[in-house]
Amino acid sequence: MSPLAPGSESSAALIAAIAAGDRDAFGRFYDLTAPMAFGLIRRVLRDPEAAAEVLQEVFWQVWQDAARYDPTRGSPEAWLVTRAKTRAIDRLRSVRRRDRTFVAPVDESVAQRREEPAENPAVVAEDRSLVQNALAQLPEPQRRVIELAFFEGLTQSEIATRLGEPLGTVKTRARLGLERLRGALGAERLSAT
Amino acid sequence: MNRDEIGELAAAYALGGLEGEELARFEALLEAGDAEALRALRECGDTLVGLAAAAPEPPPAGVKAALLERIAAAPATRPAAPARPLPRRRPRALWPVVLSGAMAAGLAAVVVGWSVSSTYEKRLDALARDAEQLRAELRAQQTVIAILRDPATQVVALTGLPPAPAARARMMWHAQAGGVFVATGLPAPPEGKAYQLWAIAGTNAPVSAGVFTVDASGTGSLAVRPLPGVSTVNAFAVTLEPAGGLPAPSGDMYLLGKS
Repeated sequence: MSPLAPGSESSAALIAAIAAGDRDAFGRFYDLTAPMAFGLIRRVLRDPEAAAEVLQEVFWQVWQDAARYDPTRGSPEAWLVTRAKTRAIDRLRSVRRRDRTFVAPVDESVAQRREEPAENPAVVAEDRSLVQNALAQLPEPQRRVIELAFFEGLTQSEIATRLGEPLGTVKTRARLGLERLRGALGAERLSAT
Repeated sequence: MNRDEIGELAAAYALGGLEGEELARFEALLEAGDAEALRALRECGDTLVGLAAAAPEPPPAGVKAALLERIAAAPATRPAAPARPLPRRRPRALWPVVLSGAMAAGLAAVVVGWSVSSTYEKRLDALARDAEQLRAELRAQQTVIAILRDPATQVVALTGLPPAPAARARMMWHAQAGGVFVATGLPAPPEGKAYQLWAIAGTNAPVSAGVFTVDASGTGSLAVRPLPGVSTVNAFAVTLEPAGGLPAPSGDMYLLGKS
């Protein structure tokens, strides 16, 4: 179950109803989870129009694939977060690829308005204080690995190359970073309630 | 594999950075229902939900309306009603078509150059999603076949009760692998209602095995996952419940079968 959501039980019921073709349930699931998904998409992909398109694609997939949601692998929110993150990274990559091999981008608005994630992650997260607080509690090397993987979509070997660290180190940092982050997010919530 | 190794694989998988042989290894663990791998993955997933939920942003106006419009306009693309529908049959021959299509698209993109890359990227993305979907369906089919072949599988016949005396159903149930349920002769459920399948073990409260509806001919099916804490089932029953199902049965019982 999601540690965050008192709504996690109902979100599982909503997914089941969506799988059965219930449009109202889809609307409620959207209301419940779209702000979280959109915040994440915007963190990866800062162009608002591109982010809105990705948001729509992600929820369209939710509607189409709800029957394939597997509760043994995590909460509906986690399922959604994975999809949102993957689609946002796909979009970011396709914009970058197009830029590198630039001839005539079909979608100029996307290419022109896109913003690369800033080099300094602290600046990016400035207006997102809870994320910043939680991430800030991680040692810098662990934070860097999680940010490169989750917000920039690098694979572990790409991260190892980028940071000039052994692959094994990157793996360990990812695991320890997530473990510590879990503790940090738990503490945030406790102090918030 | 020790706990830390599984933890590392789960972290990388959840972050989206697992690749190659390790990805295959971890997916095999998940497919096999490895409890430690699933637990580690759920934990990582919850952590990332926490990270995402800590920085919500109001979604732009219009996206929800656009989605609802898209859904209303394309009801035909909606998968059949059951919550976990049995996989649609697809001819095996589609595989080479999809694969050669992907290869051709890839080759052409290189030859023509990247000036038209965005068109091909979209097609490749679509083909990759098709391939992913086919793989998922194949895995689901293999599960069904494995259940049918296993001698430990119980076959339970359910018969219709007064609301639908002509209804019949079969449950092929395997405690570790899950089951396949097929029903016929059920009336179409009223608007906002669906059928819910229950597993009853001993004197325990019934456990929901999923929600399904039926097509125009009164036939419905459901792929049932293994039910946590339920091994030997004494009876299966079907009741009419609000769409989406309830945690405990409340409506009329339509089918009952004892094993």
